[in-house]
Amino acid sequence: MSLNRSQAPSFNVINSLVFPPYENNLLSNGIPFYQLKAGTEPVIRLDFVFAAGMIHQAKKGQAFFTASMLSEGTKTKSAQALADALDYYGSYFQVRSNTEDTVATLYCLDKHLENCLSIFIEALSESIFPKKELEIQKKNSIQKLLVSLKKNNYLCRKGFYTHLLGEGHPYASFSEKQDIEAIIIDDLKAFHQKYILNGLNYVMLSGNYSLNSTKIIAIAVENSGFMGGVPETLNILAKSNIGKHFHEKADSVQSAIKIGKITINRQHPDFRKLQFLNLIFGGYFGSRLMKNIREDKGLTYGIYSALEPFKDLGVWYIDSDINTKNRQLGIEEIYKEMKLLRTEIIKNDEFETAKNYYLGSFLRSLDGPFSIADRLKIIIDNSLPNNYYPEFVGVLNKTTPEELMKIAQEYFTEENLVEMVVGQK
Amino acid sequence: MIQYNEFRLSNGLQVIHHEDPSTQLCVLNVLYKVGSRNENPDHTGFAHLFEHLMFGGSVNVPEFDTELQAAGGESNAFTSNDITNYYITLPANNIETGFWLESDRMLSLDFNQKSLDVQKNVVIEEFKERYLNQPYGDIWLKILPLAYQKHPYNWATIGKNIEHIEASNLEQVKAFFENFYAPENAILVVAGNIDLEKTKALCQKWFEPIPARKTIIPPYLQEPKQTEARREHVYEDVPVNLILKAYKMGGRMDKDYFDADLLSDILGAGKSSRFFNKLVKELGLFSELDTYISGDVDPGLFLIEGKLMKDVDFETAEVAILKELEFLKSEGITKVELEKVQNKTETNIHFGDVNVLNRAMKLAFASFLGDISLVNTEVDSYLQVNTKTLQEVAKNMFREENCCTLYYHAKP
Repeated sequence: MSLNRSQAPSFNVINSLVFPPYENNLLSNGIPFYQLKAGTEPVIRLDFVFAAGMIHQAKKGQAFFTASMLSEGTKTKSAQALADALDYYGSYFQVRSNTEDTVATLYCLDKHLENCLSIFIEALSESIFPKKELEIQKKNSIQKLLVSLKKNNYLCRKGFYTHLLGEGHPYASFSEKQDIEAIIIDDLKAFHQKYILNGLNYVMLSGNYSLNSTKIIAIAVENSGFMGGVPETLNILAKSNIGKHFHEKADSVQSAIKIGKITINRQHPDFRKLQFLNLIFGGYFGSRLMKNIREDKGLTYGIYSALEPFKDLGVWYIDSDINTKNRQLGIEEIYKEMKLLRTEIIKNDEFETAKNYYLGSFLRSLDGPFSIADRLKIIIDNSLPNNYYPEFVGVLNKTTPEELMKIAQEYFTEENLVEMVVGQK
Repeated sequence: MIQYNEFRLSNGLQVIHHEDPSTQLCVLNVLYKVGSRNENPDHTGFAHLFEHLMFGGSVNVPEFDTELQAAGGESNAFTSNDITNYYITLPANNIETGFWLESDRMLSLDFNQKSLDVQKNVVIEEFKERYLNQPYGDIWLKILPLAYQKHPYNWATIGKNIEHIEASNLEQVKAFFENFYAPENAILVVAGNIDLEKTKALCQKWFEPIPARKTIIPPYLQEPKQTEARREHVYEDVPVNLILKAYKMGGRMDKDYFDADLLSDILGAGKSSRFFNKLVKELGLFSELDTYISGDVDPGLFLIEGKLMKDVDFETAEVAILKELEFLKSEGITKVELEKVQNKTETNIHFGDVNVLNRAMKLAFASFLGDISLVNTEVDSYLQVNTKTLQEVAKNMFREENCCTLYYHAKP
């Protein structure tokens, strides 16, 4: 019996997705404690999520420097003593300030949790914000900014968001040199007091933890003095500067390009269909943009489109670096591909392939404790139902190519687009 | 502990099976024993360009990615100095699609001029995006020729220059495939929610009929011992000065490898490291200062890379680095300091092993190194390092006649 290699083996379409069970206990201080047990390696991740994002800050850089100064020492431990103490257990923590929150994460082996947790909590709650350390961090940040300002990508992102949302919009917060210089210790102490000490939204534990660890964490958080945050509504109106913008950067062999607009977010009933349409347009290797602009024309190493769903609004954009000679052709092709989705129904083969790929990507993202924890964070932050991810199967199965064309006609229009290009004239 | 089974097909293809019933996925990882060190010095960047062509369709499958995506799968690849590694993840019950696709492109590619022309352009844009259009993007292109005068690590995986990529032709592509992409020059790892029996049956069905070829690994020159300090100055449009010091160290199987790796942690990894506390924080000489090892199979490099503060000159910065290295050589490392980086390494290895794809890649690479049990002895190798061996390795390595230094000046 000879093997027919031109015949594809049969395959199964994913018809169900499972979001693993997790627990949520309300601690005595009112802070939710989520626990997601998965994986086989003896490692755990513990996230403290604070309502302390860039949207909460009164001055540019406040959230960033507060977060980065949390590892700089407490009343009893210097920065190095803190790092040494955790390092000794092979553990470490990082604090990231994001647009809408600040997340402090401890990584360690389950057996060392008790020793590491007290150091982690001490760093977060008893930081003394030493002045000398802040001055060093400011100087280093200014140097890094100088390097960023030489990168087309950075300039393009900054230009795009500033034109799309308006100068001063919290989702378009880019620090200048003078913003960094203006940060003082009192800014950080005030931000820490209001949004870290009194802004702990929830705690999330993931990995292959022991029951004992959950008890240790619960007690430690209850005794930590952290209080939950009070939700704030910000509602800052975006002031878009619609149209084409160009930032000249001589001697660039490539141009950075970002084209996009304000769009819907997760709360909108069309959002998941828009996500699916975006996947077909520029969201995976087999997308229209990749197939046309990279795989057929070879104009770029990479091109993609993405949705960024914030709490107040969504942003949709296309991103690429294209060589200067072919820049105009590349941009024309992007608009052409948008138009095609508005005017022609997606063929069945392409539609089914994208759907199967998309379901496969959910299966991958629901595999492994930390990847699942990332999805759980999205569910918590957006108050989504537990079956949000499993439900995608039904949502996609009910979606038709005709519906996607309607979605394209609604959301992939050329109205209100901001086009930002950074490169040689 | 990573469990595995090994067997070999009649055409010479080596197979490793690793079962993990806790995942819903399966992984196929194929490592081809060819990297940029096996390239002709006049056609550099070829192994990496070839990697791109592996996605351009094979003899019976016009569109590799479309078929894979239709079955819910995803794939990618990378090329290094030593190997080219391809991987596919699929829902476990669709793994046969992966066997079909991966075996067909081992059988034969669909060699065509259009695919070659497009991928040449894509790789040229990759060259520009990563190496030319970024501040300091070309430090790797500059340090390698300085450090390697004979050995093919002389050039980066992307290639020496764009002209080499432009000059590639279809005949070279065919010859490269014929020689290097043979079953006996590859290692297949099947990992995830699949048992040994099914793995064997699918391997026999899809891979065993591929005829063996006669792979010849062309000999290449080894790097002679460096005997004097090498220095190079470049002047570019960047905002601040950068110094890059590259010390010669052993290869992946040499006994100083684990010591050197831990030394890079002691000196430069994170906020408890020596360089960070002394040179960044206390003396304020650098805004960023990192240490890392190249991790190559043949003797590699221990690198120290720092961006100087605006008002600091190269001499002051370099003297300060050398002083720290001298201190390390003369005073050694405390036991606590060593245990700290050992524990950290152990945790990192466990975190890496969470992901089934990582485990599959580790198995393939250990097998390529000639000892698959390395996947499980790695932690012990780090734990066996002691303060005495560390100090010896430091003394032997941190000598200026063993070092190449790149001074990357910000043009005024």
